[in-house]
Amino acid sequence: MNVIEIKDLVKIYNSSEVKVKAVNGITVDFEEGEFTAVVGPSGSGKTTFLNMLGGLDRPTSGEVKIGGINIWELSSKKLIDFRMNNIGFVFQAYNLIPVLTAGENVEFIMHLQGKPKKERELRTRELLESVGIGDRIKSRPAKLSGGQQQRVAVARALASKPEFILADEPTANLDSKATTELLELMAEMNRKYNTTFIFATHDQRVMDKAKRIITIEDGKIIKDEEFDQ
Amino acid sequence: MKDYLKIAWRNLWRNSRRTLITAASILFGVFFAVAMSSLQLGTLENMIDNMVRFYSGYVQIQEKDFLDTHSVNNSFSVDDHLKTLIASDENIIQSTQRIETFALAGSESNSFPSMILGIIPEKEEAISGLSKWLGEGEFISSGSKDILVGKVLADNLGVSVSDSLVLIGQGYHGISATGIYRVAGLLDFPLPDLSKQVIYMDLANCQEFMGLQGKITSLVLMVHSPEEVTAAMERLKPALNPDLSIYSWDEIQPELKNLIEGKVASGKIVKGLLFMVIGFGVWATIIMLMHERRRELGVMIAIGTQKFRILILILIESFFIGLIGVISGVAASFPLVWYFYRNPIYVTGKMEETYRTMGFEPVLKFSMAPDIFFSPAVTVFVIFALISLYQFYYVLKLKTVEALRA
Repeated sequence: MNVIEIKDLVKIYNSSEVKVKAVNGITVDFEEGEFTAVVGPSGSGKTTFLNMLGGLDRPTSGEVKIGGINIWELSSKKLIDFRMNNIGFVFQAYNLIPVLTAGENVEFIMHLQGKPKKERELRTRELLESVGIGDRIKSRPAKLSGGQQQRVAVARALASKPEFILADEPTANLDSKATTELLELMAEMNRKYNTTFIFATHDQRVMDKAKRIITIEDGKIIKDEEFDQ
Repeated sequence: MKDYLKIAWRNLWRNSRRTLITAASILFGVFFAVAMSSLQLGTLENMIDNMVRFYSGYVQIQEKDFLDTHSVNNSFSVDDHLKTLIASDENIIQSTQRIETFALAGSESNSFPSMILGIIPEKEEAISGLSKWLGEGEFISSGSKDILVGKVLADNLGVSVSDSLVLIGQGYHGISATGIYRVAGLLDFPLPDLSKQVIYMDLANCQEFMGLQGKITSLVLMVHSPEEVTAAMERLKPALNPDLSIYSWDEIQPELKNLIEGKVASGKIVKGLLFMVIGFGVWATIIMLMHERRRELGVMIAIGTQKFRILILILIESFFIGLIGVISGVAASFPLVWYFYRNPIYVTGKMEETYRTMGFEPVLKFSMAPDIFFSPAVTVFVIFALISLYQFYYVLKLKTVEALRA
């Protein structure tokens, strides 16, 4: 079953003199439970593609349908709510809220969803334990290593029980050991919760784990391969 | 709300130096504004108090044309009805009768125009503590035929205690008012304008001098404070004989009112400049703060935080900073204002001369009126709140994807 349907997606940036087509007519679908890497050289348009897919950057034209809803037809307020309930984000620089503890960072999104306190606390503990840092629930991001912060970010992304998680270069700031552990973790979450993961990456280790690799160059998909893992 | 308060409070202390710098800007704003307001109000109140006590009183009842003519022909008698009216008004704490007129004062060597004040010495003493300004000689009492002369006027005339002065003026209905009076004492007023022209004599003595048997030119009324003036006037006015008028101190001394208004306006300009400097400082800090938090705000919006929730968070943070700054500003200024309220600054040297030349008592007094704390605190807080609106603008204009790249 298709979770995401993308049709003729175009993004043109207007600089002072030239128009740059960062994404140039991408049409692609993603299914439930996918573990997909979007790869390509720097400037190929993969981050722009992910941002439009995640409702962060408005496309110049084209459609992004998630669960049958064209997200770019939603009002900006509804789009924020849609992101909160349907999309998890993992960023390259972790981007945890620095004044909140690991537990509070995970709980934050459930708080926005209006979940009851008991449910929030239970799920926060469960998620942090499942990403292997249950003992750091009260630590602030500054007290955690990069790998630990990214684990919290994964737990935060999963907290709202989203349809899919978008991860933009999630391993770029991690060392080799932390990268391997994080990928194992995300693969496990993918299996355990059947959550769709879509990565933008250049990291070969991510590609090695992916069940599908979409290669983008000059804003176009030039290759779309599926693998049995 | 509890969670917002928690995040806002922690946000304040994530960069405690920046928070303290912002709060310190507000603190200094409040501190200097309170100190300036206190000094200005204290000095103005002192000026008003001096002028009111020595000259006009807070309220005066006069014959209806006296204010314009300043002629003893426009004098009146205080009848029983008026006495009862004054006595029954609980806000009127003191009253006295005066004759205010002009005469030429002449000594052996000089003559100068002078302002003659016929007073009831005991009552005047109770209102203005007149005798404390007695530099030489002795004070007069009711029934005395002697006079008190301003020190500067006496110096100009070349007379001292026990010397005689000739007074020549125009009395009631044009009669010639002439008399020779012994100088009982010299009054060394803090207000040079008074000191260089005033002569006090007993009311009965003055009535005799001017041919004003039983008549006066002014009935001076004292209330507790300037704030009670209007109410007292409104109560008395309807009951007055139609030949009489009632005036407040600022109607009698419009030049003093103008001077005060000028001083208040210049004080406002200085405070406005102070607030502007501080406002720009706070604004710069806020711009820096928002720039530093740009990415974090982008992340919050990306993961599903509505902008209005971020605005609430920022509002609480600003409220905290504003409150810390304002409360510390008031707390820091209180001891200073209290100290100078208890210990006024007496101006000396050249400054003293300047003050005296301008007709002011050379003293800087501070006020402890609640408004001198409240008004600057509210003003600075409102300015800070308005500047903080920039953060709202910033968040509302924030483009998530650009913020994430920051």
